[in-house]
Amino acid sequence: MPSLSRASHVSAESSTRGESAREMERGCGTILGGSIPLLQPRRKGANSLFPRSSSRRAQNRRRFAGVRAQDRNSQQQQLNLSVLRFTLGIPGLDESYLPRYIGLGFGSLILLNHFFSSSSSNVTSAQLRSEALGICLAAFSTALPYLGKFLKSATPVDRSSLPEGNKQIFVMSENASVTQKEDLAWASYVLLRNTNTMSVLIAVGDVLCVRGYWNMTEDLSKAHIVEWFKSQIQQTGFHDLEDTLYFPQKPDSDSQLGRMLPKGTLSLLVQPVLSTSTPTINVTKKTEGFVLLVSSADYAYGDKDRAWIRAVANKFQGINASRNFHGVETSQ
Amino acid sequence: MEVGCLLLFRTLSSPLIRPPLRRHSWPVPSSPLLRASSSPPPLPSPPSAYPQGAYRGPKPRRDLVGDWVSNNDGFVRSLPIFVGGLSLLAVLLNRAFSGIAPVTDASSSQSRADILTLALAVTNLLSGLVWLSIRPKYISPVVPQGVDCKRINSKIANYAVLELLWAWESLSATTCCRSLVVVHGGFCLLQIGVAAESLTEVGEAVAVDVHKLIQSSVYRNVAESGKQSYLANLSLYPAKSELPFLPTTTQAVILQPLGNSGIAIIGGDTIRGFTDLDQAWITLIAEKLDVTLSKSQDN
Repeated sequence: MPSLSRASHVSAESSTRGESAREMERGCGTILGGSIPLLQPRRKGANSLFPRSSSRRAQNRRRFAGVRAQDRNSQQQQLNLSVLRFTLGIPGLDESYLPRYIGLGFGSLILLNHFFSSSSSNVTSAQLRSEALGICLAAFSTALPYLGKFLKSATPVDRSSLPEGNKQIFVMSENASVTQKEDLAWASYVLLRNTNTMSVLIAVGDVLCVRGYWNMTEDLSKAHIVEWFKSQIQQTGFHDLEDTLYFPQKPDSDSQLGRMLPKGTLSLLVQPVLSTSTPTINVTKKTEGFVLLVSSADYAYGDKDRAWIRAVANKFQGINASRNFHGVETSQ
Repeated sequence: MEVGCLLLFRTLSSPLIRPPLRRHSWPVPSSPLLRASSSPPPLPSPPSAYPQGAYRGPKPRRDLVGDWVSNNDGFVRSLPIFVGGLSLLAVLLNRAFSGIAPVTDASSSQSRADILTLALAVTNLLSGLVWLSIRPKYISPVVPQGVDCKRINSKIANYAVLELLWAWESLSATTCCRSLVVVHGGFCLLQIGVAAESLTEVGEAVAVDVHKLIQSSVYRNVAESGKQSYLANLSLYPAKSELPFLPTTTQAVILQPLGNSGIAIIGGDTIRGFTDLDQAWITLIAEKLDVTLSKSQDN
């Protein structure tokens, strides 16, 4: 039975200082595996036909955890929806794909009707016209969810699931300073939590941090894992990247890239960390590293997501300079 | 990212900010590098065209349909309605002009075909209506009235200053934030962006009176609950008077507690300009800031 759905999830949970500090301490210890909440229900956001979100003229019917929004009116400038939505209440059924299912189902029924009637009696031209129109409509309906994905208000629905065959790891280079380890731990945590990401790899300077679900075939020690990733990265040539590289759909899996990435990769985003323009640094290299994000859903990173990922990547700007600079503080 | 581009463009004759072509003047000056920018995604080129040191890996395909739909958003939204409506009319006219009795009788195959087509037309119609209803309303930003200021407390360590500046740059680049004030441990550590102009000293920004702020109701509410407070339309709230350092035309404010001992006040130039995603990111950045500032305070 159709029912009125309740609210959308808000991704940020109640933030306490302890949680973030624990993350950074964990980063310093380079724990392997662990109980990191990787796939939060990020935003059960909307898409074309029957999106789910909270009600219009919200009377605080939204279920939120930690973030209190005091806007009464529903429309927001960007992606968010706060409209009364219709849902069939079947878990796992994405209502935005309903036109596709209807189009396919009814289109096949029209064909069935045609062959049934042509075998029994003559098919009139009126019926042919009607059926032709029906088939065209069915084809159009089938294409509707695909078109709806590109509309401005379409948020990437969190259809991501954890693919099989990957292992959850969290490793960091040993030669990173304490502040660097904290920063890396925090950045990887934040990226996994706030975006539709399954795995993260941050390579800045000669420091590497890998977190999330990766395709680890054998059980290697932490140092070996780091070395393996370093060699893989050398071959992909991401260090030479100067612009954001975004694969909204599955990248070519035969290449070198496919071997390194986890199974079930559907979106890939590589964000280079541009070097700062101070004249003291030798500027033959314009980037200091990159941040690589992998998601198990396609079209996972919208404009806003990419802007925030760029902001997080900028955190590591000047990391080589700051390493020398922080010489005093690394003792903490 | 713009800074990196500017470096490259020193040698160019025409300064462009995101052009399709870029001359790569380091380290191999002989062969210019021709690359497309990343939005829309670049077309693959043969690796031999690139000099040493350029990215040669796989590149994403150009998504023509996606680009077309994004550019013709309004048209695509109303497309299903027109298609559905016209098909509805067409079915009825077909039935009328073909001399068939206007009775939907499921025993006739003509009627069956018509019913199926009608159902599909209605699906399209409804889908179009839903698309129209979820069109985001564009609210224009209001220019904040005030003076630019950048006041950093000298007591905090350099790494904390860098982190605060990074937070400001992230917020101003990705959200509609135009003013940022960070108060921690009883001191105003950062006041940056646009601030209200002081009445007594022309051209100077109003200083943040930390004592008064700590005693104000907004601060107490936020500190007690420990949760972010989002005032999406500042003109509706009386709290405006308790934040005199923000420009008078600030439209939205986020009050983010930094642990137990601080608050970050983020002023935006658009009503309801901060999205859910922005709020989530601000919460997490605030945690990091709190840890860093506490560490700096302890030393």
